[in-house]
Amino acid sequence: MITVSVKWQKELFQAVEIDTSQPAYVFKCQLYDLTGVPPERQKIMVKGGLLKDDADWSTLGVKQGQKLMMMGTADEIIKAPEKGPVFMEDLPEEEQVVALGHSAGLFNLGNTCYMNSTVQCLHSVPELKSALIQYSHSGRSNDVDQTSHMLTIATRDLFNELDKSVKPVAPMQFWMVLRKKYPQFGQLHNGVFMQQDAEECWTQLLYTLSQSLSSTGSSENPDTMKALFGIELVSRVHCQESGEESSETESVYSLKCHISQEVNHLHEGLKHALKSELEKASPSLGRSAIYLKESRINGLPRYLTVQFVRFFWKRESNQKAKILRKVDYPLELDIYDLCSDDLRKKLEAPRKILRDEEGKKLGLKASEKSSGSKDNDVKMSDAEGSSNRSGEPSIATSEEGVPSDSGTQMTGIYDLVAVLTHKGRSADSGHYVAWVKQESGKWIEFDDDNPIAQREEDITKLSGGGDWHMAYICMYKARVLPK
Amino acid sequence: MAKDSNDTKKNKKDEKRDEDLSEEDLALKQQLELYVERVQDADPNLQKVALESMRQEIRTSTSSMTSVPKPLKFLRPHYGTLKAFYETMGNSELKNYLADILSVLALTMSAEGERESLKYRLEGSGGDIGSWGHEYVRNLAGEISQEYAKRQSEEVPIEDLMELVQQIVAFHMKHNAEPEAVDLLMEVEDLDLLIEHVDSTNFRRTCLYLTSSARYLPGPDDMLVLDIAYMIYLKFEEYPNALQIALFLDNMQYVKQVFTSCDDQLRKKQFCYILARHGITFELDEEMAANDDDREALQDIVNNTKLSEGYLTLARDIEVMEPKSPEDIYKAHLLDGRASAGATVDSARQNLAATFVNAFVNAGFGQDKLMTVPSDNSSSGSSANWLFKNKEHGKTSAAASLGMILLWDVDSGLAQMDKYFHASDSHVNAGALLGVGIVNCGIKNDCDPALALLGEYIDKEDPFIRIGAIMGLGIAYAGAQNEQLRSKLAPILNDAKAPLDVIAFTAISLGLIYVGSCNEEVAQAIIFALMDRSEAELTEPLTRLLPLGLGLLYLGKQESVEATAEVSKTFNEKIRKYCDMTLLSFAYAGTGNVLKVQNLLGHCSQHLDKGETHQGPAVLGIAMVAMAEDLGLEMAIRSLEHLLQYGEQNIRRAVPLALGLLCISNPKVNVMDTLSRLSHDTDSDVAMAAVMSLGLIGAGTNNARIAGMLRNLSSYYYKDASLLFCVRIAQGLVHMGKGLLTLNPFHSERFLLSPTALAGITIMLHACLDMKTVVLGKYHYMLYFLVLAMQPRMLMTVDENNKPLSVPVRVGQAVDVVGQAGRPKTITGFQTHTTPVLLAAGDRAELATEKYIPLSPILEGFVILKENPDYREEDH
Repeated sequence: MITVSVKWQKELFQAVEIDTSQPAYVFKCQLYDLTGVPPERQKIMVKGGLLKDDADWSTLGVKQGQKLMMMGTADEIIKAPEKGPVFMEDLPEEEQVVALGHSAGLFNLGNTCYMNSTVQCLHSVPELKSALIQYSHSGRSNDVDQTSHMLTIATRDLFNELDKSVKPVAPMQFWMVLRKKYPQFGQLHNGVFMQQDAEECWTQLLYTLSQSLSSTGSSENPDTMKALFGIELVSRVHCQESGEESSETESVYSLKCHISQEVNHLHEGLKHALKSELEKASPSLGRSAIYLKESRINGLPRYLTVQFVRFFWKRESNQKAKILRKVDYPLELDIYDLCSDDLRKKLEAPRKILRDEEGKKLGLKASEKSSGSKDNDVKMSDAEGSSNRSGEPSIATSEEGVPSDSGTQMTGIYDLVAVLTHKGRSADSGHYVAWVKQESGKWIEFDDDNPIAQREEDITKLSGGGDWHMAYICMYKARVLPK
Repeated sequence: MAKDSNDTKKNKKDEKRDEDLSEEDLALKQQLELYVERVQDADPNLQKVALESMRQEIRTSTSSMTSVPKPLKFLRPHYGTLKAFYETMGNSELKNYLADILSVLALTMSAEGERESLKYRLEGSGGDIGSWGHEYVRNLAGEISQEYAKRQSEEVPIEDLMELVQQIVAFHMKHNAEPEAVDLLMEVEDLDLLIEHVDSTNFRRTCLYLTSSARYLPGPDDMLVLDIAYMIYLKFEEYPNALQIALFLDNMQYVKQVFTSCDDQLRKKQFCYILARHGITFELDEEMAANDDDREALQDIVNNTKLSEGYLTLARDIEVMEPKSPEDIYKAHLLDGRASAGATVDSARQNLAATFVNAFVNAGFGQDKLMTVPSDNSSSGSSANWLFKNKEHGKTSAAASLGMILLWDVDSGLAQMDKYFHASDSHVNAGALLGVGIVNCGIKNDCDPALALLGEYIDKEDPFIRIGAIMGLGIAYAGAQNEQLRSKLAPILNDAKAPLDVIAFTAISLGLIYVGSCNEEVAQAIIFALMDRSEAELTEPLTRLLPLGLGLLYLGKQESVEATAEVSKTFNEKIRKYCDMTLLSFAYAGTGNVLKVQNLLGHCSQHLDKGETHQGPAVLGIAMVAMAEDLGLEMAIRSLEHLLQYGEQNIRRAVPLALGLLCISNPKVNVMDTLSRLSHDTDSDVAMAAVMSLGLIGAGTNNARIAGMLRNLSSYYYKDASLLFCVRIAQGLVHMGKGLLTLNPFHSERFLLSPTALAGITIMLHACLDMKTVVLGKYHYMLYFLVLAMQPRMLMTVDENNKPLSVPVRVGQAVDVVGQAGRPKTITGFQTHTTPVLLAAGDRAELATEKYIPLSPILEGFVILKENPDYREEDH
């Protein structure tokens, strides 16, 4: 019989007696009483290893008063959870997209960045996507030519593919069809495809889509593209010499922002562009005279496209030269004062509601947090704004491209959702990039196959005035109120 | 004759200048001229009077040495005449007198290389050498060393010189000129003389000069110099210093001698703290401490059993006990926009990174937010949940991370690891085994729990479990040279059925256990294992761990490696050069040997086209060798910059790692900038290595600049899973131990190099040479080898009963005081804190109170304070 001390965790059991005639299992049972650790889970360190249940004390050479160490707990043994976690690495590709938070990039197929950036900008319009999905069901109608139909199909497929993949997509099919429809994009220079003007691509693509989508006839709404992008203008044409005056209306897909010496801001450029002089034959004077044309907006689209007229044809150098002037544009655009009187009347009520709502929120916050700094309040209103915005798409998508007037009211206030920029000195060279706001409120720069997350304040820095990317086309989304 | 005409010219000049002299000077000049004439007089009495007056004039003036003394200046023109006259004199006392004067005059007159001053001194009357002034002695010392070298080559006896050396050394040692004395003795290769001349006032400066100069001396002189320093320290009972030199020399006999020479239990305790920090295994015997209880108390300190307690005291004092989650480290809220939107799905890679970050950040604190469960939580708790949020081999690292969190706390560590032993998942079991090894890192326990627990797993079927057990043993017993382990592990190396990875880890563990021991048997076993590899296996990245294990055996052992290096030349050519470079770099690691650095640089300058891999270890080798001292370190940083510009891709990939090793836990701004630049390199391997190294140079510093860089990198690389993983690991390293730990293998004011710490870092770096297959592949747990180098970067003052004692200390940037006279300030820009305090790289601390006397001259780690018996409270 010898006595030892046993150390277990932070405790020390003094004077534990060992009956050396019994197997070690007996000793373990003694320790079970002391510690509550079942014998099979006890690990007792003796010289040269662990104490075995059937070990013979005489061979181990345990001395009187020796300190033994025991390891073991009565804790529950951990088990793997029945349903293991799902890891992103194991997911199929479509589900990884959701986790990624933005859609894929597009490979550059040789100077096709103008096309890629256009596609990425338009891809961000959910209503367009759903309209395209409907198109597939209806099939081709007779008054759309074969190539337009193919281009529409290709657009639909490409949008679909972008939504589903994580890795960059190569828009081969789309690129071929686009060239087929518009052979000017297939121009070669030294054996490679030339850089093209993104604005041209944008306009042509929208035109084709409006042709094919409006003629489907199946949906309740005959002119989806017009409702989404079309801007109705009413113009007063006035001749100062003769005092003649006439009025005309037209529908365009984008507003121009003229850039001249005086223009520093998008608003000024838009105003500038809505006034123009033209020379035409005056019936009363019997000769051509200078007419002044003043246009106003009479109908608002869901998505307002603004083109900065940065390129002009330079006769000397025979190329489209670029105006590098810095023209600021806001994240929130109010076009109330560009509207016609009729439209203004219509807008007044919803605008008041919107103002009241925002004012209420601001006031509420201010009273809640009277000590809060002004700076804070501004941020909060921003946050509210963005939550408003992020709420919108769901409303919009539920309506499946229904025109603006049916379910919601326009307010004349627009939020920036996509910017197509150009970097370089002429339209047919340099690099085009799309900057698109995601549904999550985050901005992604789609530089061909490489989507890069960006901060909102960097988006407004694309206003030109240097050699950095500068906005060429801006797309604004209407802020609407439910009726 | 040419010389004469020279002299006459000078005479003329002097005459011209005479007009400018003051009356006093003119009188002196004429007086001296008179003496010169008299010396040449026939009357010996007159000669004697003249000589003595001349001597008088010189001596009185040499006492102040601000400019050329006037008597010497006026006597210059007569040097030739006196010399000529001297030759004609017969042997007499007078001739000796004249020789003395000529010897002094030769100080300014003797032509280069003639050593006339020495010549006349030897022929002169002898006598007190110092009476002629400092400058004279200094000049003489220079001539002696030249003469000595000449005589050595001609094998002419040197007795007369040595007599003079004796006098000069005695003079220097008395007059605050210890460096000169040491220099002279080194020149004449007779340092033993020094011991007779040191006294309590000058031995410190002498030894400081000796130890500092040892770094720049070629072997074996450096060892000799340190030997002398050791003996001097021992003579003056400066045992802690003597112990440090003994450890530097890796001479256990000396260590023992320190213990036996000292009979103060308290001081012995301090020795034990120094030994514990150095991380070597050391058994005290009865000779060193006669009393059993005392010996046990001392052995406990050497075994580091109180390390955990001290570390936690520090943590509580600094108030960082609150566990930190990986999110607290990532600080994603500071990055707008970039961070991925609400990650709803777990990414195995990112969870693994979080596991490591959590382990490094909460290392040693015993609590965290992922692995340890608050007891009131639901039954199985979050621990199990987090564990199973890792995939396959990730679970090994996750289970082992618990060991890291409970680092050094063997008792509760083992208790908490226990549950993983019974899990049904072999990856979890493997992690538990590894975790036990990590908990025991640097801690020795009489019961040898690690050996008892892990021992029976090393021969299991499952390779994961085997690797876990083997690696755990390697970490727990690094440097222990345990025979029992060798007999268990060595057979695995030559087991034909063992998988390659098991063999590779066995080689590393054996290398660690026998680090720097030059053990023949282990070397043989690894060599055979290498020879047994098939052609295909030799190209596997894991095979490269075998030479690594071999290298560890010779860590810092210099020439001892040569026999093995010779054998390695017979290896298959695929591994031969790799082995060669590894052996060379390990053998000279931490020596600062310039020739070896050049050799390694030479290997890096070749442009390879056959896909050889040996340049990686060569680049790391440069850092390993050069990291020893500051000058070499700066030079190595510059050389690496060159390699970066002209080197091939395989070299560029290793350069960031080498930079990381050179500045480990020492974030130098220039290196930080270089690494920051490389972290955006187009080659992803270079970028990954640079990111890792950013973590290494900032390891345990909480450096805000690196943290910011890494945060930006995390958003820059948010799409690249591999690079993001590296960024996360680096973030974990920077905040290692919440800023209380260091990875620096050097301690005691950068004098001593802990072999196990360096081994741990270099294994991790070698693993990073092939990031894609090792760290990003299945063997990420190799990152845990860093635990060997983890040490609290603290100064903890304790009283005689090892209880923490709070005293004011000044902490500031260390100043190099080598060779400075008097008692110069040793720190600059200091701040006063109360202990325990953290010490940054290059910091030095000194007590700001007279109330206590520290038992170690170097205030680092644990320092015992003794009450100062002479202390009086100022107010009373």
